[in-house]
Amino acid sequence: MYRKQVRRRRAVLALLVIGSFVLLTLTYGQKSNGLQRGVSTIFSPLQSVSDRALKPARDLVNWFDKTFDARGENGKLKTELAKVRKEAVDSDVAIQENDQLRKLLSLDRNVVPSGYDPVTTRVTARSPTVWQSSVTVGAGSGDGVSVDDPVISGYGLVGQVSAVTPDSAQVTLLTDHESAVAAKVVPDGTQGVVKPEIGNPEQLILDFIDSSKRVHRGEPVVTSGWRSEGRSSLYPPNLPVGEITRASILDQEAIQQVELRPFADLANLDLLQVLTGGSRG
Amino acid sequence: MIVTSKILARIVAIVIVAVLLQLSFFSRVTLFHVSPDILPALVVCFGLLGGTMTGVVTGFSVGFLVDCLLIETLGAGSLVLLTTGYLAGMFRERFEIHSALVPPLLCMGLTLFAELGFGAVQVMLGIDASISSMVIGDMLLKSIYAFFLGWPIYLGMRRALRPALVEESSLRRREQSAAIGA
Repeated sequence: MYRKQVRRRRAVLALLVIGSFVLLTLTYGQKSNGLQRGVSTIFSPLQSVSDRALKPARDLVNWFDKTFDARGENGKLKTELAKVRKEAVDSDVAIQENDQLRKLLSLDRNVVPSGYDPVTTRVTARSPTVWQSSVTVGAGSGDGVSVDDPVISGYGLVGQVSAVTPDSAQVTLLTDHESAVAAKVVPDGTQGVVKPEIGNPEQLILDFIDSSKRVHRGEPVVTSGWRSEGRSSLYPPNLPVGEITRASILDQEAIQQVELRPFADLANLDLLQVLTGGSRG
Repeated sequence: MIVTSKILARIVAIVIVAVLLQLSFFSRVTLFHVSPDILPALVVCFGLLGGTMTGVVTGFSVGFLVDCLLIETLGAGSLVLLTTGYLAGMFRERFEIHSALVPPLLCMGLTLFAELGFGAVQVMLGIDASISSMVIGDMLLKSIYAFFLGWPIYLGMRRALRPALVEESSLRRREQSAAIGA
């Protein structure tokens, strides 16, 4: 009897291990499959309800975390404030000039590039491990979302849609190991590829930069949105990505890399906009 | 564990609620910049209460459901969590749980194992980016959170699955017969 039980247990274990490997082999590299679409459709309403119901509790826990952080940053911010005040005055002047120039050139003031139709959606789930940096949003193909659509938050680029079901979509964040964004440093236009550093959501790397051009701390980085020989970048040009935080001459010359901090708070995402339609690059 | 249809329904409900809670709450809150992961601890508790079979099946199911809902490559989460459930079940079948600290300590240790497992599977599937040393801190903090969350999860699940637990039912029977004898 005991032997039979042990044999049955081993058989179940072997079956499930083999099943896992079979699933891995069959679904690796796929954007989504029928099974996932089905499960996702069934669970989307539940996820939506639990997301809304748990929001106050989430905000409370995150408030504690942010308060703890804020205490540490208080001193640092005070010293930065004086510097920022001076910059604010300069910025006001620049904004006035900018407004005049915009009027002259009739530029669209909206951050969303022309030709794109933004779909505002809420994050309903987030990957629990540090190895996969993705979120699930409550808008899917039924809302016009399709694979490779860029996703932004109120602060800047967040990532791109990597899989779609009728009611939800998976957004691969800039911090995911599969992410790579063609970008340029403003104002010099130094080009590079923004890549993540796994495990650190507050830091990205601008890789493959031109070592003959100098990049400086504090300079903003935006998507470059290239187009060449019928191929184009997944992202439209000039979406804000981040700000250079470390740009040593040694790193730029030796490994052609600088570090940047993403504008979007990738650790705490709630409302996002999927830029549907539009032409790539 | 004696799995009747009623107990099976409870297990399914626990798995679904825990997965939704993880994806909608725990994954989206940060304490010291790290989000807790209750799913390995949940699977460990299933293994400790029901043995290897329960641990393996629930581990596979939890991983499968998470991969489906996150639209990730299927099988990766299942493989790691079924191994975690198997190890917890083996512990239950080979050793006595003689101290209240055993479940949280096992939750802590096996959460670390699961996080390393997720990392190993991702490396196996290919990672084209640099890895920050903060990953180590993330894994260690997740394990510490699992220690604190493991005990309430274990107690809650023992309560929910009490009618199915072999030790609990034999203990109750002994108490009943002692009461009749008195």
